[in-house]
Amino acid sequence: MFEDVSSAAGLIIVLGYVAIAIIDAVDPQLIGVLNAYTEVPNYTNPVPQPPSWPLHPFGTTFPGIDLYQAVMAAIRVDLWYSFLIVLVGALIGVIIGVTAAYLSGFFDEILMRITDIFLSVPYLPFAIAVGFVLGRGLDELSLALIVVWWPLYARYARGQALAVKENPYVEAAKASGVGGWGVITRHIMPNVLTPVFVQVSLDLGTVVQTFAALTFIGFASSNPYLPELGTLISNGFPYAISAPWGVLFPGIAILIFAVGMNLLGDGLRDALDPRNRT
Amino acid sequence: MTLRYYVIRRLLLVIPTIVGLTLIVFILTHVGGDQRFLGEYINIHSPIPVATQEQQLSEKFHLNDPVIVQYFYWLGAFFQGNWGYTQTPIFSGPVLEAISLFLPNTIVLATFSSILTIMIGIPLGVWSAVRKNSIVDHASRVISFIGYSLPVYWLGLLLIIVFASPNVCQCLNVFPISGAVTINLTNNLSWFRAGISYPTHILLIDSLIHGRLDLFTDATMHLVLPVITLTYSILASVIRVMRSSMQDTLDQDYIRTARAKGLPNSVVINQHARRNALIPVLTLMGYTIAGLLGGVVLIEAVFNLPGIGYWTTQALISGDIGGIMGGTVIFGLAFIFSNLVVDILYGYIDPRIRY
Repeated sequence: MFEDVSSAAGLIIVLGYVAIAIIDAVDPQLIGVLNAYTEVPNYTNPVPQPPSWPLHPFGTTFPGIDLYQAVMAAIRVDLWYSFLIVLVGALIGVIIGVTAAYLSGFFDEILMRITDIFLSVPYLPFAIAVGFVLGRGLDELSLALIVVWWPLYARYARGQALAVKENPYVEAAKASGVGGWGVITRHIMPNVLTPVFVQVSLDLGTVVQTFAALTFIGFASSNPYLPELGTLISNGFPYAISAPWGVLFPGIAILIFAVGMNLLGDGLRDALDPRNRT
Repeated sequence: MTLRYYVIRRLLLVIPTIVGLTLIVFILTHVGGDQRFLGEYINIHSPIPVATQEQQLSEKFHLNDPVIVQYFYWLGAFFQGNWGYTQTPIFSGPVLEAISLFLPNTIVLATFSSILTIMIGIPLGVWSAVRKNSIVDHASRVISFIGYSLPVYWLGLLLIIVFASPNVCQCLNVFPISGAVTINLTNNLSWFRAGISYPTHILLIDSLIHGRLDLFTDATMHLVLPVITLTYSILASVIRVMRSSMQDTLDQDYIRTARAKGLPNSVVINQHARRNALIPVLTLMGYTIAGLLGGVVLIEAVFNLPGIGYWTTQALISGDIGGIMGGTVIFGLAFIFSNLVVDILYGYIDPRIRY
């Protein structure tokens, strides 16, 4: 019962965020986002103004923008990049993992040793190194995180595929003359995708956090007008004591999404993979 | 196979991992072109024309060779202790020297957090498994759930707001929120230069060597908030694994036997169950170290601590190849060797494991 309520709550939170992102992309005025990144007219001094209804419900923040509109616009950007990172990472990982498991032997060994090397680097410094090559920017950052994330999925998908491969129906498909490609795409892949999908949902909360963390330390850009939650926190950081709202609201936006995603992920895992039920 | 052979084999396996790690990072940092690399070394005020300087530097650093050949030059120098040069706002000089200056701060931070995590996480995990569905169990589950969702640097900022804001409570303004030490205390000190103390570079030890108890207290106070933040960020997973592992262990037959022969509850839990339940936690510690290493990068940025993560971030922002190479290699080595130690301990603690 408790699990049902909590995963429903998670689903509602996540859908709410997706709705904000879609509305912001289609018709931002519906959620009160008019011109998110233009300076507010009365921003006369560099000190951010406290929240005030209805003009600035979250207050204003450096460099003179309305925080509510900035957070709403930033949610769309963060969500888009996080989904992109996780889905592309999972796709690459599944292809490599399933191929390794299917071919086995020498190719499996080579592919998995390469994966191990990628896994032996802590992700944050590694993303920094990748980002250095690609340059600083949100696209570059998400590419760096894909490079860091795919090995996890490769290893996970390989484990799943090895288990699926031993099933009699795979043998039956091979015996009835289905080619290697057909066996992978029609018989192994569908059964690997479900557990990977659960893993994706469990990872999304972490990816949003990591993405914002890297922009917070200045990975993406030094442009304070970048609509991104980590950048907003980093903008508010110098004023954290005199104007805490500049740090609080973007952080709460990340926290609630991560909580929702974790609740939903736990619920999905329990529903799709009852063995792990706690 | 005996333990000794296992250790030797495991140590030999570290070599290809280190080569692979450095190769990936080297190719990543050097494939971007020579221009960026040379920028740091070219002196535009020198009478020698820039083009000539570029040519000389290209020859000196073997930049005309393929990247893979350059890598072996780098690897040779690496094993001879020449890790290149770094040029960041906080330090310019040999990479190895930068590491020797900044790493001690990070080690202090990570050590205190690990000790705290073990001291809090393991008893809390055991307690919530033994008293399932009690208040402590629910509280520790909530703590660990929020721990998974809370961005670590944001938690640091929250602590800064709570402990430094004049609006919350003056009584809380006890912990300093930035830097490793109060700068005014270090004026005119011969053994403290540019934010780094000498000779051990660990302020807690150096202040005692020089008999400055006030500096020791001050440095300790500066560590409180970063250590709390880092501890919380890794505590969640330790509690969660310890709890489920302890639950599994409590269901085992030998626990039932121990209870059946009338042993007191404390003996069953402390001597029969907890030791066995610790094995998965040991594996987890390997992963936790990865979390710790990622966490220090962010926490050092938030609390302005001159550690290895802070230096690596500075290197990224100023586009400093030496610093990025050095920082990544140090993080990778720390990760590889801590996992090595965990693997060996794992075999040592659990005699059922055959190497």
